Amino acid sequence: MKAMLQAQHVKKVFGQKGNVFTALDDIDLEIKEGEFVGVMGPSGSGKTTLLNILSTIDQPTAGSIFIDGSRIDNLKEDQLSSFRRNKLGFIFQDYNLLDTLTIEENIVLPLALAKVSAKEIDRRVKNIAHKIGIEEILAKFPYQVSGGQKQRTAASRAIIAGPSLIFADEPTGALDSKSATALLQSLSQLNEREHATIMMVTHDAFAASFCSRVLFIKDGAMFTELVKGQTSRKDYFQKILDVLSALGGGMDDLI
Amino acid sequence: MTLFSIARKNIKRNFYNYFLYFASMIFSIVIFFTFVSLQYNDQVAEASTMKISTAFKGASIVLIIFVGIFIWYSNAFFTRRRKKEVALYSLLGVRKRQIGKMLFYENFVMGLFALIIGVVLGTLLSKFFVMLLMKMMGFAVDVAFMISGKAILETVIVFAIIILITSFEGYRLIYRFKLIDLFHAEKKGESAPKASVFAALLAIIFLAAGYFISTQTLTSKLWLSNILMTALIILASVTLGTFLLFRSLTIYMIKLSKKNRSQYYKGINIIGTSQLLYRIKGNARILTIIALLSAVTLCAIGTSYSMFYNAKQLSNAMNPFSYAYISQGKPLDQKVHGIINHQSDHQPASLYSTKVIKQEINIDWDKAPNGYFMDRKRSTFLSNSAFNQLAKTLGQKGSLHLKGDAAVALDNQYSKTFSPHYRGKTLDIKTNDGREKLHFVGFKDYNVINSNLAGFPVVVSDQLFQKLVRSGQVQTIKQWQVKNDTDSAELTKRLASILPKKAEFTDFYRPYKDMMAGNGMLMFLGAFLGLVFLLATGSIIYFKQLTEAAADKERYDILKKIGVTKKEIRHSIAKQMLFIFSMPLGIGILHSAFALSALSDLMGRNILAPVLISMGVYTVIYIMYYFLTVNSYFKLVTQGK
Ligand SMILES: Nc1ncnc2c1ncn2[C@@H]1O[C@H](COP(=O)(O)OP(=O)(O)OP(=O)(O)O)[C@@H](O)[C@H]1O
Ligand SMILES: [Mg+2]
Repeated sequence: MKAMLQAQHVKKVFGQKGNVFTALDDIDLEIKEGEFVGVMGPSGSGKTTLLNILSTIDQPTAGSIFIDGSRIDNLKEDQLSSFRRNKLGFIFQDYNLLDTLTIEENIVLPLALAKVSAKEIDRRVKNIAHKIGIEEILAKFPYQVSGGQKQRTAASRAIIAGPSLIFADEPTGALDSKSATALLQSLSQLNEREHATIMMVTHDAFAASFCSRVLFIKDGAMFTELVKGQTSRKDYFQKILDVLSALGGGMDDLI
Repeated sequence: MTLFSIARKNIKRNFYNYFLYFASMIFSIVIFFTFVSLQYNDQVAEASTMKISTAFKGASIVLIIFVGIFIWYSNAFFTRRRKKEVALYSLLGVRKRQIGKMLFYENFVMGLFALIIGVVLGTLLSKFFVMLLMKMMGFAVDVAFMISGKAILETVIVFAIIILITSFEGYRLIYRFKLIDLFHAEKKGESAPKASVFAALLAIIFLAAGYFISTQTLTSKLWLSNILMTALIILASVTLGTFLLFRSLTIYMIKLSKKNRSQYYKGINIIGTSQLLYRIKGNARILTIIALLSAVTLCAIGTSYSMFYNAKQLSNAMNPFSYAYISQGKPLDQKVHGIINHQSDHQPASLYSTKVIKQEINIDWDKAPNGYFMDRKRSTFLSNSAFNQLAKTLGQKGSLHLKGDAAVALDNQYSKTFSPHYRGKTLDIKTNDGREKLHFVGFKDYNVINSNLAGFPVVVSDQLFQKLVRSGQVQTIKQWQVKNDTDSAELTKRLASILPKKAEFTDFYRPYKDMMAGNGMLMFLGAFLGLVFLLATGSIIYFKQLTEAAADKERYDILKKIGVTKKEIRHSIAKQMLFIFSMPLGIGILHSAFALSALSDLMGRNILAPVLISMGVYTVIYIMYYFLTVNSYFKLVTQGK
């Protein structure tokens, strides 16, 4: 299978002279088409930073990144924008919904930007709302719905345009176990049925157990990785927990 | 860290905000000070025949109110942008009293500096404005540089009060809000507004009613019953209508555009439209104010400019000839001839002699003609052929061919509202052979004899004129046309000194000069106030939109993350601002058009050209504000990251 995303020697340094902080140090990674990759690590280890850089929202200090064969770290801002819009889907840690738009309009946004016809938009919204279970709240505004519903809205928005690569930053963070499972299942389905490639940052070992591979980072560097292969989800879950305890650093309280 | 050093750091960090506020304060002070200095300027007072102080006093009161509101508004804008900072202090445990004091001093010190800078700048500028005013009034004087103590005192008092009030406002800010509010100062959940069909209908009804009344002629029943009341009704109904319009009709319109899903779901429309809808409720009041302000400004500029624009034309219509008098015999005529031909600046000069008949008449029509009213019961009769000759000389089109008892009135101040409808009217005149009945077949809206001399001029057929010659008082009117009569003070003075009272000497120059001085001042006041209003209006929208931009930044950040290009964001902002800017401008222009057309009717003059020019200038400056706002908004929203 071909590589969907490649990162080589990625480095990210925050701050100016005298007060610098290296958030990522020489990260190499490759994600193949159709993979469902998890990223785990202690708080402050650089997960969000990595995700932002891979997803073109932030620029690396050094290193190169390829998505779908094209190099993206040296694109111009407007080129990046259209690249993001056409190829990528995002589920952010803090939802990033527009409070002036209804839930439905928030979901529709990527399609509207891509100038899909209104008819087609309506069809796809219905479809996805049904799948994710947010049909009843479509006409509401974000401030009128719960955190979990917002998260599901964000997920719907990320996948509605059928992106080839989806980035999710702790998509289950605000969800109870039932809706977390529902969301994870729909991500899995998307991964299996539509062959969407997914990269998901998570603190939650249960969520990570849905992935086909989990990367662990510590202090801005790659620590290890764990491939699911033929293991059952239960065993995989256990293995993840083992790595996490080896990783240490305040993870226990989060499980 | 002392409070003082914190405050100093603040100013550094929020420089842009401070700058805007500071600049608006200075601007207000400069404007006010300049204006008051004009009022106390000796040269201006000397030059004006009109009672200058009343016109200026009235205008300066309007200015005080306006400047007060403007500073208040800038202050509100400024403090709102600092709520978060204030919250931070109080979170860090700085006492409320201390923060309040800091805000008070800060505003007070800024005000003080603004006052000093404003007065200095104003002093420099006032010379320029005095020059401008003098020029507009038609005087060429060397303007002396002068500092008016009175003007400084008045400015200091007015602004000390305003600054004190706004400073207390800052002090109060800290007590008025809870900590949690302070952090969310810009984020109050504005609920989606509802479109009320009822309110929209009401808006249309109010506006239509106001417009309808304003288009009624002044002599209609509606006006005659109570002029002040009717004017107030128009004002109230238009104001209310405008507010309801922005409150409901715009919401209705936006909602309607939302219904068109294929349009709504096209690209970034969805963002712009929903953003507008989200804001429109909060914007309704400000849009109303701006629409009304624009209307008032346009009326002020339009009216004063029309006066100014027409001054020469009007003087010409009043006194088509440079000089006119009733001949008092050959010797005097020759003396006049000599004096005029002696002046090389005013050559070539030509003389027109016309035989006319002065006669008492008695008009009992529903309305009296202008000249009749002016000259009481006298009328000047001209023969058809004399009229044709004079009209041709003056370059007026349309010669007359009157027969029998047909007559034509000359009325250069004809107004549909106030003048009689001449056609069909009859007039009895006594002659030696008995009575003659004149039948008016129409009128001309120009005069061929200088107005004060003519009274109410009537053109009659040559036959009838011959009849009247035998019975009336025949006079020969001498009319001179000289070159450069707009600049003929010297010649006019000499002629006036040699002609006796009964010659009824009238000249073009003196009424023209008076009119220029009066209208020049009006024009200056109109333009000055208009410009101030316009600048303030623009700034108010600008401030308001920038406040919103700060609140909208997060939203645009999200959009950028999901792949909206900067170009699209700019486009969307430009579209939203276009809506916000064009609505009040359009409505303001519409309002002023109705008001000015009523005025034009009242004055009996066509003021289309000056009004269009005023509107054009206003719109151009307004459009510059539009681009400025779009630019700043875009920068604010996309800056950082
Ligand atoms: N804009 C920034 N400027 C300076 N330092 C930053 C910036 N963003 C992140 N950092 C630092 O980089 C490190 C990694 O941050 P990041 O947000 O990637 O952590 P994370 O792994 O996502 O943590 P969490 O699990 O809490 O979300 C942190 O130490 C953080 O303080
Ligand atoms: Mg994070």
